[in-house]
Amino acid sequence: MGFDKKNLLKLGKLARISINDDKLGSLGEDLNSILKFVDQLQEIKTDEIDPTSNSLEQTLLSREDIIEKINESEDVLENAPEKEMNFYVVPKVIE
Amino acid sequence: MIENLTLKQTSSLLKNKELSSKEITELYLKKISEGKELNCYNFVSEELALSEAAKSDQRRGTDNLKSDYDGIPIGIKDLFCTQGVPTTASSQILANFVPTYESTVTQKCKEAGLVSLGKLNCDEFAMGSTNKTSYFGPVKNPWKSKDSKADLVPGGSSGGAAAAVAGDLCVASLGTDTGGSIRQPASFTGTVGLKPSYGRVSRWGIVAFASSLDQAGPITKTVDDAAILLDIISGHDDKDSTSSIKEKENYFQNINSNVKGIKIGIPKEFMSDDLPMSTQKAWIECRDLLKSNGAEIFDISLPHTMSALPTYYIIAPAEASSNLARYDGVRYGLREQGKDLIDMYEKTRSKGFGDEVKRRVLIGTYVLSSGYYDAYYLKAQKVRSLIKNDFNEAFNIVDAILTPSTPSTAFEIADEPNDPVQNYFNDIFTVPVNLAGIPGISIPFANDEKNLPIGLQLITDSFKEQKLLNIAKNIEETVQYKEIPEKWWTT
Repeated sequence: MGFDKKNLLKLGKLARISINDDKLGSLGEDLNSILKFVDQLQEIKTDEIDPTSNSLEQTLLSREDIIEKINESEDVLENAPEKEMNFYVVPKVIE
Repeated sequence: MIENLTLKQTSSLLKNKELSSKEITELYLKKISEGKELNCYNFVSEELALSEAAKSDQRRGTDNLKSDYDGIPIGIKDLFCTQGVPTTASSQILANFVPTYESTVTQKCKEAGLVSLGKLNCDEFAMGSTNKTSYFGPVKNPWKSKDSKADLVPGGSSGGAAAAVAGDLCVASLGTDTGGSIRQPASFTGTVGLKPSYGRVSRWGIVAFASSLDQAGPITKTVDDAAILLDIISGHDDKDSTSSIKEKENYFQNINSNVKGIKIGIPKEFMSDDLPMSTQKAWIECRDLLKSNGAEIFDISLPHTMSALPTYYIIAPAEASSNLARYDGVRYGLREQGKDLIDMYEKTRSKGFGDEVKRRVLIGTYVLSSGYYDAYYLKAQKVRSLIKNDFNEAFNIVDAILTPSTPSTAFEIADEPNDPVQNYFNDIFTVPVNLAGIPGISIPFANDEKNLPIGLQLITDSFKEQKLLNIAKNIEETVQYKEIPEKWWTT
């Protein structure tokens, strides 16, 4: 599939990135070029091959569940674009 | 005038009381100020650096040092979260972000008494190999071609970290490497760049790009310095579940440049007619030099080398699209107003991310989306196994692999390929190493006919950093590469 205008807008919705009309053409070309490049993998036979998601040969570790004071809400909220009391403020979600 | 100090030299100057930490820190702050045109630093923490240096001098006065390197000023790529110091990943979306916590790597540097001069420019979210995707503008390579005044790229993504070391705007620096982001800029700037094994260094507190590939490491003036910094930053961290529980080693103390009987592989897939003659020559000379120093040379094959780049450009964007979902304008960073919550997300991300980041998030979203997951993401993970297996088989025969670090030397900032894929080829020799999770180091070998540094890459099996450093040190001792760029930016 190529990235035409309709597909690109759908992808932008999925990725939560609005795409301006004047960018649709060049962005579509770029993405088609990348897709064409990675498509060469289809020629490699991988029927019997297990996927690698992580190269570290180590089972996941567990650690003691100890409470540490880090990222306290008051500090963290210092970076909030908009806040009220102890909460982040976002545009209205429910009509 | 004190120039181009290494960690080792600075440590002895401090020890012999020839210089104080305050003096050396002031000196580097002056160099940074004189080198503004290079655009290496996104943020200079002048006040903090001077106060940390003063504390270090006090500790030295009372013989209460944190390490042999207490009081030495270094630079930190602007991808490591640093408490109370802006951390932007060179992105507009994080332009006003001040972390409330310290990354494990920078915490370890603090515990060793190192003084941070500030945060180094990089490609936006470490996505790029030219440093041109930075919201704060490109870094200029301290090197210039001998027949041109044109500004050159320092490579990327750790472009500021490499240029700052090459231009002597810090003693050493810390970068990160997802597909070559330490080794490629090191190669372009005549510096030493080490990407450790995946899991050797904690990723906690580093702005995430592709979590199964990201790894932090040093950019330095010498191999000894790379060993010293790796000693400081490596080791298991409870906060990173992918950090290895393998005991860390004393890399610097145990460094041994003897290569007698060491088996070096030369992979045929890395040779091509497109490789500049000067790079081919350097590669062959290095092979012969190792041989005459007692190493055994083997022609080897890594059959899936050419598949590494397309594999990387599925896996890295897929992981990035997931990691960058957190930038939503709610909790930190930029927010653009929208008519509702979704509109706010979309406008914020559209304004806050640059073009390359958007391309990668969109491609990543595509290859993970229903209907395409098996064809792209799963397929790439399977080819990743084949690439890893190529290395496993090679390391049954050899101790280390020698390749060029990059397919070219530094090029002009003004060179702008029309197609983003062309830029991706800068990482063709470095990407396979990240996919396999093994360590790699780029060391300067010679300058080409334009007087620009050529880097060569050594690769070993996982957690064989000691062997990697030993061989690198042998090459360094034999070659005696002493080239430094002319300081055109101070005049």
